[in-house]
Amino acid sequence: MARAAKTKQSTKLIALSATNKAYEFKKPLEKKIKYQGKEVDIRLHEDPKGFSYIVWKNKKYMLDVIEKKQNRYTIVVNGVWHSFTVETPVSLKRKRYLENQADSSAAVSIEAPMPGKIIDILVEEGAEVKEGEPIIILEAMKMQNEIISHIAGIVKSISVKKNESVMKDDVLMEIQKA
Amino acid sequence: MKIKSLLIANRGEIAIRIIKTARKMGIRSYVIKTAKEPNAWYLEEADEIIDFSENFDETIPEFLDIERIIKSAKKRKVDAIHPGYGFLAENPDFARRCEEEKITFIGPSHDAIYRMGHKTIAKELAREHGVPLLGGSPGAVRDAEEARKIANQVGYPVILKAAAGGGGRGMRVVSKEKDIERMFSLATNEAAKAFNNPDVFLERFVREPRHIEFQILADKHGNVVHLGERECSVQRKHQKLLEESPSPALDPALRKKMGEAAINIARSVNYYSAGTVEFLLDVDNSFSFMEMNTRIQVEHPVTEMVTGIDLIEQMILIAEGEKLPFTQKDIKLNGWAIEWRINAEDVQSGFSPSLGTIEKISWPESENVRVDTGVRDGSVITPYYDSMIAKLIVHAETREKAMQQSSLAIRKFWIKGTKTTLAFCRAVLQNSNFRKGNFNTSFLSKELKLHYHAEPDEALLAAFFATYDYAREINENEEKPLHTENGKAITPWVLKKRLR
Repeated sequence: MARAAKTKQSTKLIALSATNKAYEFKKPLEKKIKYQGKEVDIRLHEDPKGFSYIVWKNKKYMLDVIEKKQNRYTIVVNGVWHSFTVETPVSLKRKRYLENQADSSAAVSIEAPMPGKIIDILVEEGAEVKEGEPIIILEAMKMQNEIISHIAGIVKSISVKKNESVMKDDVLMEIQKA
Repeated sequence: MKIKSLLIANRGEIAIRIIKTARKMGIRSYVIKTAKEPNAWYLEEADEIIDFSENFDETIPEFLDIERIIKSAKKRKVDAIHPGYGFLAENPDFARRCEEEKITFIGPSHDAIYRMGHKTIAKELAREHGVPLLGGSPGAVRDAEEARKIANQVGYPVILKAAAGGGGRGMRVVSKEKDIERMFSLATNEAAKAFNNPDVFLERFVREPRHIEFQILADKHGNVVHLGERECSVQRKHQKLLEESPSPALDPALRKKMGEAAINIARSVNYYSAGTVEFLLDVDNSFSFMEMNTRIQVEHPVTEMVTGIDLIEQMILIAEGEKLPFTQKDIKLNGWAIEWRINAEDVQSGFSPSLGTIEKISWPESENVRVDTGVRDGSVITPYYDSMIAKLIVHAETREKAMQQSSLAIRKFWIKGTKTTLAFCRAVLQNSNFRKGNFNTSFLSKELKLHYHAEPDEALLAAFFATYDYAREINENEEKPLHTENGKAITPWVLKKRLR
């Protein structure tokens, strides 16, 4: 986890998206965004019913913070969610450095996309899987869902058993990248 | 016989929908309280609550517990039971038990439910009554080997369907012979699980059909009318995401032909009450009978909007033995209605359920906007039931206007606390082929590549707000210590160090 900045509002902060896109804000508390070379004011509001919204270039954008854990945020704007980690220039540098150090052939874990029950495990440890191949059948919300491997590789370990109940984000399997 | 009291064996928006009509008709409503949703809104709307939240049998879900529901109804001398949709709505045993106990079941006869619920019998009835059908297995498929044989005869792709199924569950499309074994076992497992009956049958799969269904109303005196069609082609894994009435694909001649076929299906089982006959419509306008749903449907409001007929009221009147107050020529389709299903689902990760609390919900009130919902501020989307939050129904003079009004209504439909399918609705409305009415059941997989729609600056604003909130929190934390120790404040930063 990136260690947070302790400094006051003058600090520059960066929101790093899940796709590694960095959005930089010089003074977020001053509610200004540098946009196409100009500083543009941003207005934050709460309506009488308690909904939050941003007014930006005379348009209204509904806002909802769905998830907030330390520096991780999931924010819904007009019904679409965006995930970020908030970084300081220092923590971002460190993060990028660590990412480059990480072994690119590391195992990738397959996690449960929703809570449910394991109905069937379609592969065994040591088996070769293709990208897009179904590996587990998870029953949730009255449906049997095929969990697909999103990478090609070798099944390194299986962490669940048939008929076991799992929570969202539980690791189901680890796959060693081919 | 006049119905004076009514037990609704259901929950959520449909319970509230039925209560509204009951209230209008001066009927006392009863609902069932469960431990899974003890604070649900529908409980407050009803006149009486029957409490199942204590001493419940964990082996059987409350809304499936036929004997307990019957016993409760008898104890309170309730005249009638409305099953809503899902749960026991298409369970012939439940309808039969009501009949045996002299409780009016608000729906068709148990015999009609049984015969239409049994897909192979239903297909046989359709064949006898000259309604077109797709090729496939004559009955349930015995095993994977037989499935392979029949599939090779009718040609791939084929679809495996639970004989006792409905609502898209227990259905699997098989494109290649090598998948048939695995898919057969998936389909039978799912069927056994969901319907207590592992039987599946197989039929030819039409690649890109439209899903068109006809609303039927029939009384106990042999009068049957149809209330036009509903276009339900926009689906994901056979789950409907929006419905409209009428369909852009039908002209009056085709509507008449399909409507007559639907009436024939209803007549084949001496149907009474409200029901829906589903068809697949191919590109050449040939159609084939799929199944009949012997209950009120989730999407019934679009039909109510264009016909002006309260379907729940008609179901109750029919159950009382009344004759239909109109004939086919009295039924007029007025304007265009679209229903948007707003579910607690994450459209950005494959529509996976997004559980949680609806902190706030708000929508634009307007004459041509109807919202059927079972949630309000503070309601919880639980893993026990479906993920529906609300149905937004927009009615206007034309399809074009209905889409325009939908865009406005969706923009002003605000939900705080969970991910929803609202961004999906926006994406659909942006799609030019949807706007032209040019789509079929492959719309999601082929046409709508991105299942949500975001405006250009939205990611930037979200990013801004994340940094803003983070910076604000740091500032506040430095000013206002949150914890104290021996009367002295500790800042979160100190706490954090200790936890390390």
